[in-house]
Amino acid sequence: MAEESNTDEQATSDASASPEKQLPPPSILEIEPVYQALGHPRRRYLCYTLYEDTEWSLTDLATKIAAWENDIPDHAVTENQREEVYVSLYHAHVPKLVDEGVITFDEATERITAAEHAEQVLTALEGMGASLNSRQETHARGDMNEKEN
Amino acid sequence: MDKDDPTRGADTHWSQVAQRHYEPNGNGELTTAIVYTIAEADGVSPSEVKSPPLYEVVDASAIEDAFFGPDVAGDSRQGVGTVEFRYNGSLVKVRSDGWIQVYEPTEADLS
Repeated sequence: MAEESNTDEQATSDASASPEKQLPPPSILEIEPVYQALGHPRRRYLCYTLYEDTEWSLTDLATKIAAWENDIPDHAVTENQREEVYVSLYHAHVPKLVDEGVITFDEATERITAAEHAEQVLTALEGMGASLNSRQETHARGDMNEKEN
Repeated sequence: MDKDDPTRGADTHWSQVAQRHYEPNGNGELTTAIVYTIAEADGVSPSEVKSPPLYEVVDASAIEDAFFGPDVAGDSRQGVGTVEFRYNGSLVKVRSDGWIQVYEPTEADLS
């Protein structure tokens, strides 16, 4: 922390020289990962699963999300449905959420784990889910509420 | 980086080994459709296409927005184009009409 505040002082004095070139410190830009993470329905589903558990195998995650999307129980998910979600998670959404610091992904074990930005993303989901997302994600939130009760 | 150099191998002959039509209004995503086409070209199942993740090669969601994005002022955009990229030595083309095509280099010209 002490080192950081030194850096801040330097930044402040630099800022007085050329204020238009100074970006705000990263700490107040923390909302960015939230928008990036929640910008796609599958990533929102993935984030909902982190309420239930902070660690998932990619296959279990794909099954869970396919079940939600098709509105069927986990055991009724077909191999084709699971594979379609698995491929999109592996090639698009998991690397995106890793980039945003919301999860980490172990390529060897194919397990995802909640990372440093997960909490603020979940807090945002909790706040906006009820009014903005209710129709699409009722079942995901239903699972989440059952878990809490 | 050499493999990404578009000027490399002006003599390379490419032959199409797989193609698939992407339906923007269907259930699947463009990323998935591209990986399925690559899998078909390689003769493996889609979940066996692992390295590298497509995310590290091309921004598929940007292509999706550019070619298949939402209507503007009540009508779809009329732009026509093709995005090409290399994936493990194959050439992948994504066309604005929805066709995804995978090409592999052919051996030296036999003729």
